[in-house]
Amino acid sequence: MKTPAAIKAERITKMLGGLRVLDDVSLDVGQSEIHALVGLNGAGKTTLMRVLLGMLKPDRGAAHLTGYPVSGAGTTVWSRVGQMLETPFAYPELTARENVYSSARLHGMGRDAATSAAVRALSALGLAQYATRRAGTLSLGNRQRVGLAAALVQGPDVLVLDEPTNALDPRGVIVLRRLLQEACRERGAAILVSSHHLDEVARMADRISVLHRGRIIGTLQPGTVDLERRFFDLVLQADMQQQEQ
Amino acid sequence: MSASVQALEFEALKFRRAPVVRTVSALIGIGLPVLAAAFMAAATSGGSSQLSLKAAAMLTESGWSGYLAVVGMMLSVGALMGIGFVVCWCFGREFTEKTQACLFALSVSRRRLAYAKFMVILVWSLVLCLVTVVVALLAGTVIGLGVPGPEVLGSAVKAWSAGAMAASLACPLAVVASVARGYLPGVGALVLLVVTTQVVTAFGAGAWFPYAAPGLWMGMGGATAADAVSPLQLFLCVPVSLLGIAVTGQWWKNMQISAG
Repeated sequence: MKTPAAIKAERITKMLGGLRVLDDVSLDVGQSEIHALVGLNGAGKTTLMRVLLGMLKPDRGAAHLTGYPVSGAGTTVWSRVGQMLETPFAYPELTARENVYSSARLHGMGRDAATSAAVRALSALGLAQYATRRAGTLSLGNRQRVGLAAALVQGPDVLVLDEPTNALDPRGVIVLRRLLQEACRERGAAILVSSHHLDEVARMADRISVLHRGRIIGTLQPGTVDLERRFFDLVLQADMQQQEQ
Repeated sequence: MSASVQALEFEALKFRRAPVVRTVSALIGIGLPVLAAAFMAAATSGGSSQLSLKAAAMLTESGWSGYLAVVGMMLSVGALMGIGFVVCWCFGREFTEKTQACLFALSVSRRRLAYAKFMVILVWSLVLCLVTVVVALLAGTVIGLGVPGPEVLGSAVKAWSAGAMAASLACPLAVVASVARGYLPGVGALVLLVVTTQVVTAFGAGAWFPYAAPGLWMGMGGATAADAVSPLQLFLCVPVSLLGIAVTGQWWKNMQISAG
């Protein structure tokens, strides 16, 4: 029996400011799977993730998380979801530990569990020495790490991360990759991650979908050579098809 | 219940750590009573300077009751300005600092988070107004009004009430800060509100305008205008505040993020 997708977008269309930002997009992420979404700036990656997280209502189509429609998702569903879109959960006036602890609490964890989970998450992301520092005083890369710790703290089995390696140093990228792969392997987490960096997603993803001008125009095979060329071939082909139409 | 506690804990933590809250607390809690005491000292100095004459004109009564009325007048405007600014910041900062996406996909709903913000702000406001009155009593003793006796309690409660009403009237500013997605539009609305209050009062309809009623009640328009303010007119601040809270909560529930 096939396991239902933990993250599912069904024929989603969204217009913003008169522009069709998403055009009949369907996508799914199964359990224990990392699905990468790649595309040029303005392709619609963030908009799709917003729809999947209930931040934006689609004009057509539906989004589901853990089998439930996002529009009616309740406490139980959201307690299993970790996310980081654009701005990390790193309020400048709070310390790194307070930020991560707050995220754990807002995901329904008790005080004691949140405290120990925050310590573990900070340590996993190499932030132990910055735990008591205000997030506003941290470097951009470390604020990003705080946001990632906040997204991972409650041990979610659904993760949606928009360009999570932004501002991370090479070590941070490797740490994140390891954490995501562990979440997949140990908890069966379904992970949707977007990125501009093909080589980076090729190393962590099980599947790569290419989003261009609001449409999924094809897939790339992780682990194969010349991903960049294949990506631009798909983009060029889609542009030429559009021009012909 | 547990979600409300989590929301309150989170909002209270952010609030406690915010420099803007500390600044406003110091300005209202210490600056305002010190200024009132200075006015009182100038008014009772018997001097003929312009400041002394203007300060004397503000007094509707002598002694502690007159002084506490000045405190109440200042609190009715100062609390609206200061607490209004905090309301705008508290709601608008989520958009200005682009942290609004962090408030999605949580076990705690956004409406609950909005109500938690109001709860924290209102509790802080009531305590702040109390601190202001207590500091004003100390300052009054320092300027030679004597040790306050039990007869002062009524005037002190009245001054605190004026501050509390102003604080509750600051709540609707959250609607502007949320809908316009930033604290600056909220601050703009606050300035407009103060100007409108002046105009409405000048046209003689102040008592029925909830934002003007507390100040008039404290004697801003003279003793006769203060006596004319009815309990119903003062009570209007409650539905205005509740409406602001309800509209903000609903807006936060339905909030969407369509732009970065």
